[in-house]
Amino acid sequence: MGATKKADAADYEALRELFRHHVESFDHLVDRGLETMLDKIKPVQIFDPFSNKTLKIWFAKPEVYQPQKEGNSKMSRDALLPHECRQAKISYSGKFIVHLYFQYDNGVAVLEKFNFGHLPIMLKSKLCHLNGADPQKLVSWKEESSEMGGYFILNGLERVVRLLILPKRNYPMSMLRNSFRDRREGYTDKAVVIRCVREDQSSVTVKLYYLQNGSARLGFWIQGREYLLPVGVVLKALIDTNDHEIYASLTCCYSEKYGRGKGVVGTQLLSERAKIILDELRDLSLFTQRQCLQHIGEHFQPVMDGLENESYTSVANAVLQDYFFVHLNNNYDKFNLLIFMVQKLFSLIDQTSIPDNPDSLQNQEVLLPGHLITIYLKDKLEDWLQKAKKLLQDELKNKGENFDFSSLAHVKKVMDKNPGRQIGSAIENMLKTGRLVTQSGLDLQQRAGYTVQAERLNFLRFLSHFRAVHRGASFAGLRTTSVRKLLPESWGFLCPVHTPDGEPCGLLNHMTSTCRITSFFDSKGKFRDFVKIRTSILNVLIGIGMTPSLPKIVQAGPPDVLSVLLDGRVVGSIPSAEVEKAISYLRRLKLSTTSGIPDDLEVGYVPLSFGGAYPGLYLFTNPSRFVRPVRNISAPEHGSQNIELIGPFEQVFMEIRCPDGGDGGRTNEFPATHEEIHPTGMLSVVANLTPWSDHNQSPRNMYQCQMAKQTMAFSSQAIHFRADQKLYHLQTPQTPIVRTGAYTKYCIDEYPTGTNAIVAVLAYSGYDMEDAMILNKSSVERGMFHGQIYQTETVDLSEQSSKSDREQRMFRRSNTDKSVRPWIDSDGLPYVGQMIHPNEPYCSVYNEVTNTTKNHLRKGSESVIVDYVAVDGKSKKILQKANIRFRHPRNPVIGDKFSSRHGQKGVCSQLWPDVDMPFSGITGMRPDLIINPHAFPSRMTIAMLLESIAAKVGSLDGEFVDATPFASSTTKTNGEEKSESELLVDQIGTRLRKKGFNYHGVEVLYSGVYGTELTCEIFIGPVYYQRLRHMVSDKFQVRSTGTVDQVTRQPIKGRKRGGGIRFGEMERDSMVAHGAAYLLHDRLHTCSDYHIADVCSLCGSILTTEFVQPQRRPGREIGGLPPIRAPKKVTCHSCQTSRGMETVAMPYVFRYLAAELAGMNIKMTLHLSNGAGA
Amino acid sequence: MEAGASYQRFPKVKVRELKDDYLKFELRDTDASVANALRRVMIAEVPTIAIDLVEIEVNSSVLNDEFIAHRLGLIPLTSERAMSMRFSRDCDACDGDGQCEFCSVEFHLRAKCMTDQTLDVTSKDLISSDHTVVPVDFSDALGGDDSSEQKGITIVKLRRGQELRLRAIARKGIGKDHAKWSPAATVTFMYEPEIHINEDLMETLSLEQRQSWVESSPTKVFEMDPNTEQVVVIDPEAYTYDDEVIKKAEAMGKPGLVEIYAKEDSFIFTVESTGAIKSSQLVVNAIEVLKQKLDAVRLSEDTVEADDQFGELGAHMRGG
Repeated sequence: MGATKKADAADYEALRELFRHHVESFDHLVDRGLETMLDKIKPVQIFDPFSNKTLKIWFAKPEVYQPQKEGNSKMSRDALLPHECRQAKISYSGKFIVHLYFQYDNGVAVLEKFNFGHLPIMLKSKLCHLNGADPQKLVSWKEESSEMGGYFILNGLERVVRLLILPKRNYPMSMLRNSFRDRREGYTDKAVVIRCVREDQSSVTVKLYYLQNGSARLGFWIQGREYLLPVGVVLKALIDTNDHEIYASLTCCYSEKYGRGKGVVGTQLLSERAKIILDELRDLSLFTQRQCLQHIGEHFQPVMDGLENESYTSVANAVLQDYFFVHLNNNYDKFNLLIFMVQKLFSLIDQTSIPDNPDSLQNQEVLLPGHLITIYLKDKLEDWLQKAKKLLQDELKNKGENFDFSSLAHVKKVMDKNPGRQIGSAIENMLKTGRLVTQSGLDLQQRAGYTVQAERLNFLRFLSHFRAVHRGASFAGLRTTSVRKLLPESWGFLCPVHTPDGEPCGLLNHMTSTCRITSFFDSKGKFRDFVKIRTSILNVLIGIGMTPSLPKIVQAGPPDVLSVLLDGRVVGSIPSAEVEKAISYLRRLKLSTTSGIPDDLEVGYVPLSFGGAYPGLYLFTNPSRFVRPVRNISAPEHGSQNIELIGPFEQVFMEIRCPDGGDGGRTNEFPATHEEIHPTGMLSVVANLTPWSDHNQSPRNMYQCQMAKQTMAFSSQAIHFRADQKLYHLQTPQTPIVRTGAYTKYCIDEYPTGTNAIVAVLAYSGYDMEDAMILNKSSVERGMFHGQIYQTETVDLSEQSSKSDREQRMFRRSNTDKSVRPWIDSDGLPYVGQMIHPNEPYCSVYNEVTNTTKNHLRKGSESVIVDYVAVDGKSKKILQKANIRFRHPRNPVIGDKFSSRHGQKGVCSQLWPDVDMPFSGITGMRPDLIINPHAFPSRMTIAMLLESIAAKVGSLDGEFVDATPFASSTTKTNGEEKSESELLVDQIGTRLRKKGFNYHGVEVLYSGVYGTELTCEIFIGPVYYQRLRHMVSDKFQVRSTGTVDQVTRQPIKGRKRGGGIRFGEMERDSMVAHGAAYLLHDRLHTCSDYHIADVCSLCGSILTTEFVQPQRRPGREIGGLPPIRAPKKVTCHSCQTSRGMETVAMPYVFRYLAAELAGMNIKMTLHLSNGAGA
Repeated sequence: MEAGASYQRFPKVKVRELKDDYLKFELRDTDASVANALRRVMIAEVPTIAIDLVEIEVNSSVLNDEFIAHRLGLIPLTSERAMSMRFSRDCDACDGDGQCEFCSVEFHLRAKCMTDQTLDVTSKDLISSDHTVVPVDFSDALGGDDSSEQKGITIVKLRRGQELRLRAIARKGIGKDHAKWSPAATVTFMYEPEIHINEDLMETLSLEQRQSWVESSPTKVFEMDPNTEQVVVIDPEAYTYDDEVIKKAEAMGKPGLVEIYAKEDSFIFTVESTGAIKSSQLVVNAIEVLKQKLDAVRLSEDTVEADDQFGELGAHMRGG
């Protein structure tokens, strides 16, 4: 038993890997992230002029608790479990408390607790109750046995933070952008940009612009505004240096001896530009570091909060520290990096290097949920602290001496005016809406769209939400298509197949199945000490020949030596002759577990080239990078010790071969150093599930990825404990006979998505034209593709009622009205299992105040069955909330949509009786489904044909068939060539023949109607079919009469409201073209807003008519008979007579038009004639 | 009236293999329309009894009510009585609600799991009000008494505390209305093939050529006689009309090596029953149903409407 249990847990390991980046980033948030973030928030100081005391407040320790129930008794708090949140439509969040330090002058700092509301807790994170639970435990907690977490539950809805592409952190990127020109006069379109990220994940982007006059300007953002500084000022302000040193540093990468050879980045123009930069300084008469700091401080004091009284120098230092190269702490490092950036910028200008492509994955990383929450929380907490400061200052100003500033209790009381609970709800709202409410923008490109609902339409759709990477909302509106392009750099990281077509095409990508995101935790789940890691890397680098960069020591530049940047810090330079050796040594150390070098270190070696990318050795250890495993074949093999994690930055310059044993067209000069593990590693999980996708035309695989996510499947195992708005469920799913390796690896059998249907490819009866398909009625009757939709109505009485009459409404059946008895039980709720037709009641609510009972009636046109009624039985209060789950039966009908796994979708056009289906003379087999042969030639979905015959063999042999794509491109590990020359078809065909079937999978069929042999042999075999969620029952729209629009009296639109389908202009055109005048009149007039208007022929107006109610004459009534209706008399109000009244049939909108025109003081008159011409 | 050429034929049936749920027979001296009519009737129009109405009292299992009802419906019930039963819609004894002994059989099912072990609710748990109509028992049909208790068809599995209690009404019906009433798992027929080997051409083939020709058929139709080295037809009926041997002969440059015809008037039927009716009874019932259908036509023999309805055909049937 124990053994099987363990095996189960191991099975989900591959699945868990797919969700890991979400969970780990949140784990980091609660482990260290909050603390680091709070450390980085600057203390505030309030000075009381009366008591002459200064109060310093700063954040200390955060505390986040596991989600707990808001019980009445404060003694024992029960754990709040995720499934309870889903059903009760509440949020899964834990108490969030932060300790604040209060210190008067230099006295003792006092620790005070502040309640910051509730922080949403990610499922399966360290604070989640489900953390570490085994499948059995999860099931007992009413979760999926394979629950992977990674999302939040907010108001009962599951929401995921979307992974968003960000520019790669701490890497200076050269860019061309036209918008740079518009900064100011004299700016060019060239710049070097670096996105610097602090330890707490907040970032500041610094741009180094090139000016037409040869100088450069440094631009950085403070509170939503960009400030520009001459680069010389910053260089000088950073360290105590002189003009000569700056000049030497800037020009060091140029040496006359190389000319324009390989790897040369500098030109002689460099010295000119260095002079210009220094001249600018002279023009500003800034000669020393002090003067530069003064200059900066003077300009920035107004925008720096809390430094009003500081000296200019300290303001300048604060600016440099907080907004400039924030990933570095040391001014020397900042100086070195700035020099490097200026060199890179000048190289870009001189065209000795090309700009980096910001759309390429090489220069990108990803925004993780935990990091987003951290920076948003930081923003909110900073705001809160500033507001608290302001409150205290206001209090001091208003109350003066009456306010006891030295009493902490009073201070706290004032601070409580700014409730901390808002912080928790701000985070919750951000996750609920995906919208950031912030002043500063947090150095992020977009304000909305950060979270999406994790729909559980089926498991593949659910899973895809966690693997999807979005390029950013700002790119969606862009008219250029360059951002959507599939670039070779994304090979192995982003799936080329799995992107939607249409609007978000190429912007919403999916990570490949092997792609991972680096995190703060290593593979053993231990927290990474980046300081230690960096020192050990430095030691290794120095050991292999790097000269460490020391302040003011001028290094030569490429092609002699290459700069080494470690996480955006220039750590030294390495001779370019040594570098190759050094890199392979570093890579070997990556593989070893004991070296202290992390296994996901990115060794980005940009080699010397003729005007290619700017050379250098860029090392990255930071989290939120893409990585993927490849096999290092240059390293001595120690079993599985040769799997190396590589990133997109280094991949571009690496030689990775396909594992098919070939050299991939490589020359001996560049031998392969690495090898792909398996070619399927370049596909996403969903794309990996398409059998033999390498035999299909590529767009078909893309369509399949879309359709797999729309499939009505076995959506959830815990379906009984969920209260989703809408949940699709397939009643009789099967496991596919033909399946890929990924299918078993990711345990898709837990959530199967279709049925193995016997598919015959033939044109039979014409009902299978144009992608229509015929289903076997008897197969359907036996349960094929049966399914249902679960729909939950939540009736919350406390929600609708205002606070005054709370608890005055309750679920109760009316005692007097017996007509609702068949549907509603005495508790006011429906009977489980009861069928409810449209307009029948499903629950009764009694109002104590008005003493009335209100029945909730079912809307829509469908009969449903009450599946489940969930109420909170534990609370002692009167029942206020009930979840009523309805079941809509959805068995296949004509018009439902189905698809195979090869982008071959079709609509059921007939349910044909079994006896009418063609049958095989030998086996008596009748197909479940008939599709038309025309579906194949133009679409070239060969894999579907392969699947058909392979499944036939599989079912004859009683075993599953492995359909992993690119299987022929891998050599067997033991080296034996298993007669790979043989085609797949031949293998299958031979096996079919052995079983007495035709080699090509065709069979002789007999017409079911006539009993005669069909004239050609029919291709028939089992194919795994999915039922798509688009069903006629949800879509059909019919109307003959019904509601009309109030104003125009035309039929309304909208399916839900019983509206019609617009008979529009184009439809009208076709009617006109056919000369179908009567039909046209019928559609546009008779069936629309037919109206008989009274028109005054004297004045021609249709608006001045009015009814005159004739005087009722008494005494004329005859007993027993209804009173004679007096003829309505219509008169014209303006002519004061009824003489000219005529009736005219017209569209009602015409009358409306007349009224609207009248409203604009335009009179419309009609001239009536009898048609003989007027 | 006068003795023109009579096309009347007298079809012959020869049973080859007979088991309770399997029957193989030859049908000769008739044409495809009759053979196919027989097949269609066996699948879709021979009546059986199946559960048609389910009243669920308690269902706390994981499966929903419709799912269980659907599963119950698909359980084959022994339906020897079906031919003599009434369709509920035609029943006079009850006013159409179909709950009298002439047209329906009542079933009860009560199951509750009281242990920690999963309880399988099977067709054996269905209690019938009529001992002639019970869920089909496959235990002896499978022959293997190795698993001490054959459990029948699983309806649902229950965990501790779950309960299923229901009343079900089985009615007579035909497969045309719903597949659950179909007594046939498979009914198929094939034309009997007639195979002629051109001995002269065969002589021109070498031994290897003959061997490879024989092997070109996916099914074992031909064989090399090991002694005479002659190719002989050992099982013409194994031929699946796949034309493989003909194509092979053409590929070998010997077209006409073999000629295969389908005999237009003899059929080999294979019938597999679901167990509701014995396969032999199924065929008999099918013929009976077919006769009744024809009777329906003949009944209106001398009415004027028949002429209106059938025109020429009506006159023909009256012997014109």
